[in-house]
Amino acid sequence: MPGLRVLKSRDEFEGEIYTSTVIVEGDDLPASRDGAPTAEIGRARPRVDGRNRVTGRAMYTQDVRLPGMLHAAILRSPVPRARVRAIDTKKAEALPGVRAVLHRFNAPEIEFRGEKTLFRDEVKFVGDEVAAVAADDSQVAQQAIALIEVDYEILPHVVDLEEAIGPKAPKIDPDGNVHDAGEYKRGDFRKAFKDADVTIDVTYRTSTQMHNALETHGAVASWDGDRLTVWESTQAVFGVRNMLKDALKLQPTQVRVICEYMGGGFGAKLGTYKYGVIASLLSMRLGRPVRCVLTRREENLAAGNRSATLQKLKLAGKDGRIVALEHESWSNSGQGRWAANPTGPSNTLYDIANVSSTAHRVTTNAGALSAFRAPGYVEGTFALESAVDELAVAMKVDPLTLRKRHARSVTDPRTDNRYSLKRLLECYAIGAHEIGWSKRRNAGMRGSQPHRRRGLGMATQIWGGGGGPPAYATVHIETDGTAVLRVGVQDIGTGTRTAIAQVCADELGLQLDQVTVRLGDTDAPYGPGSGGSVTLASIGPAVRIAASEVREKLLVAAGGILEMPASELRIERGSIVSKGARTPLKEVMPKLDNSTIIGTGIRHPNPDKLAIKTFGAHFAQVEVDVRTGEIFVEKVVAVHDVGRIVNPLTAASQVQGGIVQALGFALTEERVVDRGLGRVMNANLEWYEIPTSMDVPEIVVRFVDVPDRKANNLGAKGLGEPPIIPTAAAVANAVANATGARVRHAPMTRARVLEALAMVGAS
Amino acid sequence: MSLFAYARPKALGEALKLLKNGTIALAGGTDLITLMRHGLAEPDALVDLTGIEGLRGITREKGRGIRIGALTALSDVEASADLLRSLPIVPESLRDAATPQIRNMGTVGGNLLQRNRCWYFRDEGVQCWLKGGKRCFAVDGENRYHAVIGAHECWIVSPSDLAPALIASDAEVELASSLGRRRIPLAGFYVAPSGKQRKEHAIRRGELITTVRIPEKALERKGTYVKAMERKAWSFAIVSVAAAARVRDGKASDVRLVLGGIAPIPWRVPAAERVLDGTSLDDNACLAAADVVLKDATPLRDNGYKVTLARELVRRALRSLMS
Repeated sequence: MPGLRVLKSRDEFEGEIYTSTVIVEGDDLPASRDGAPTAEIGRARPRVDGRNRVTGRAMYTQDVRLPGMLHAAILRSPVPRARVRAIDTKKAEALPGVRAVLHRFNAPEIEFRGEKTLFRDEVKFVGDEVAAVAADDSQVAQQAIALIEVDYEILPHVVDLEEAIGPKAPKIDPDGNVHDAGEYKRGDFRKAFKDADVTIDVTYRTSTQMHNALETHGAVASWDGDRLTVWESTQAVFGVRNMLKDALKLQPTQVRVICEYMGGGFGAKLGTYKYGVIASLLSMRLGRPVRCVLTRREENLAAGNRSATLQKLKLAGKDGRIVALEHESWSNSGQGRWAANPTGPSNTLYDIANVSSTAHRVTTNAGALSAFRAPGYVEGTFALESAVDELAVAMKVDPLTLRKRHARSVTDPRTDNRYSLKRLLECYAIGAHEIGWSKRRNAGMRGSQPHRRRGLGMATQIWGGGGGPPAYATVHIETDGTAVLRVGVQDIGTGTRTAIAQVCADELGLQLDQVTVRLGDTDAPYGPGSGGSVTLASIGPAVRIAASEVREKLLVAAGGILEMPASELRIERGSIVSKGARTPLKEVMPKLDNSTIIGTGIRHPNPDKLAIKTFGAHFAQVEVDVRTGEIFVEKVVAVHDVGRIVNPLTAASQVQGGIVQALGFALTEERVVDRGLGRVMNANLEWYEIPTSMDVPEIVVRFVDVPDRKANNLGAKGLGEPPIIPTAAAVANAVANATGARVRHAPMTRARVLEALAMVGAS
Repeated sequence: MSLFAYARPKALGEALKLLKNGTIALAGGTDLITLMRHGLAEPDALVDLTGIEGLRGITREKGRGIRIGALTALSDVEASADLLRSLPIVPESLRDAATPQIRNMGTVGGNLLQRNRCWYFRDEGVQCWLKGGKRCFAVDGENRYHAVIGAHECWIVSPSDLAPALIASDAEVELASSLGRRRIPLAGFYVAPSGKQRKEHAIRRGELITTVRIPEKALERKGTYVKAMERKAWSFAIVSVAAAARVRDGKASDVRLVLGGIAPIPWRVPAAERVLDGTSLDDNACLAAADVVLKDATPLRDNGYKVTLARELVRRALRSLMS
């Protein structure tokens, strides 16, 4: 096979670098030189699936109803830690309509996340799976759950991060609760800190944030005796397929996973969960489809969260620069076996000579963390960017000026690789202009009403988002002249379907409505999971190559039909155009009978020795009522450097959504767990307060919009995570600017703001 | 949720006959249905009151005050021209209550009878004192939203926005049962759970609220309602203050001061109201009154900020009566 190469590709995913083997064929296409809008790229297009979504026609996992389908419910541990001594299911099984009960004493051995069972003999958090029931309807399943009698031997537990670190805590893991989760050093922090003019030593905390996607986690599994089809609300159809085939000891071709539409994921649906295995096991056992969809409460107990953190930072300034930075963090991973390391931004964002960081993972009897939109970076940036402002105040320098001095470097300090593109200084300039930074005063400004103060704050973000291989696309032309694009990625609500339709239409010369996208199905060749802001930058370049191949073939074929040389033809808006003549493709294609033109595209590897990053800055204007502690976020300006913008409309909605979710993290969202009971007290949308439309400020979105030509053939990078990263720190910095009060714990609730105000005597 | 019978009578008498042990009256259902879903209410039968026409509507009769039917939707109270003109504190109290959707469904009677929002009470897996258990878990637990004053065995807070505004308007409730009718001041309708009283309301078995009455004299007062929430909408009050006073020649008299969100019942301290009598509701007077209201406050680990907030909200509410 000519041109086939086997290569290693090094790609960043969620702050870590991974190496993978990739097969490359042919040559990549060049990226656009200037990034000027073309027929489709750079055009604001409403979502191609918008009509289906708003009319209710879109089929979400929760909508899947199959003939003969049973409903599964899961019995979850009511206690934070216990040994399951015995389970009595007699009453549950006697209930009419109950078809099966699964638990640790009758379930097969299943490999799941390093454990050999779905139902632990020692349950480790409130919400841990104890048993599952399949029944004719969900009411009966719920009733049956309540009839299962479990004999628990209660064991000592700990749920709170700082208690778990302490000496009195019970050891949840045999080797203790605190584990190493990453270390990094450059330069000599101690010496630089000692020799500095100004130093700060501050502690920040962030609370556990829960995703609360509108659609809860869930799956419908259907076993036909030979093949398992699973509809799952997931960010990674291939991730689910691979987990299921391993857990159930099936061949890859025996498992098909489908997710055509989904109601939000935010990282919690990037991983795999037990409910899908439970639905599949029950379906395989009973020979009927089984639906297992989590309730809101279950969602908030056992479907992931953003870890609470404790972070200690030391910063030192000398001669107007930051000379030393130390960052030590502890993350409450619950029953998770990894930590979302908050020190990433400290290690990579600024050109600081002496940096030392240490991250710890802390095990507790709470639900496992999962990825949550920029895991670690949201928590870490809140601390780092708050601390940089605190240092700027101590150094008596404008916080933006201080940052600019450390934002010029063109190499990644961790690897010494050059950035493929970095336009952070432009982000600062645009943002400062939009928010009116020049009117900022160090002591804040008078507010619009008595007892209100106004302030401005800003913060920076760094993230990956370069994407990478493997990712594949196929395009074929239907007999009516329209194109069908098939990919193995999913659209988790970010607009992937629309963006890749644009890329395809643009390259082919079709109109947007002449491209049909088929995605979210493992029957297509592999596509990556939608996480780490990688989707478009991974699949987009492959789509472009597939479409380009089809265009070349189509021109040759059309030349044959029209009896003209292909070199004199081009395709525009769905027609073959030659000198002075336009022939619609729908007239050309039937003349080919059923011959089909097919193109395939692969994602080429990222360039070696280059750091592909996204940068951005958020600026916030707030008012604070210094008597009531109420924060009014008036305006957020977001400026991002994420390469070329394929669809300004969906890109802007990513940024708006990121800011709203960040405001929840910054102001109100906080999981509350009773330490004695180990129970989540607000596993609902009443006391777990996500922002309402009334909480959303004026949001101004700007993009640098310069193609990153070295990154990939689209010049586009990811945007899913960048907009959630810097908002909380920007707001905290604005609050401090307004009032002099520094709130070092997110969310900045009334209680915390009032406490900080009392410390500085503001009123 | 277990199975239950359901009836939708057309007349009040019929409804009262159906209300007996094991039955619960259903109006808007915005609280009851969630209680049932979480196993906190397990009626054998629901008596749906929404078919009873006579219990709906707001009437203003010159010299005879205002009557609000218990089935009147909260959104109708909020939009009532009569109330906006003669008793604006009441519609004002509903402006930030729940959501428009809930205000469309929720009724006046249901709002006054809603159960508390304590997260231990609402968790079906926790057997707290109010549900017949041995202790209140909030005392040593997660208590940022709990009571700072007036609690005995149970540290819930009164969640209603409407109740403080109505109490500040001297409202009375008319109650009916198959045994007869009675009328009590709304302020006396709420009880702080203690001793054998493991409940929040003085309503008796088989009784319904039929009407809320506001006397003519209350309409002469100026009133206001302020509410602190953790977010800008759709939150229960952390602290709320209903304040009303007769204002003449820059002096206040006949003051009413009722706080929500800080005690198991809407919290009214007549001694604080007397402090304000004859003052111009200046900052000093307002803060002195707030100190009287809060002097017995005993905050728990995480809710001391409520005292700070309450003090400032009392000041603001009272001050605004003079503007």
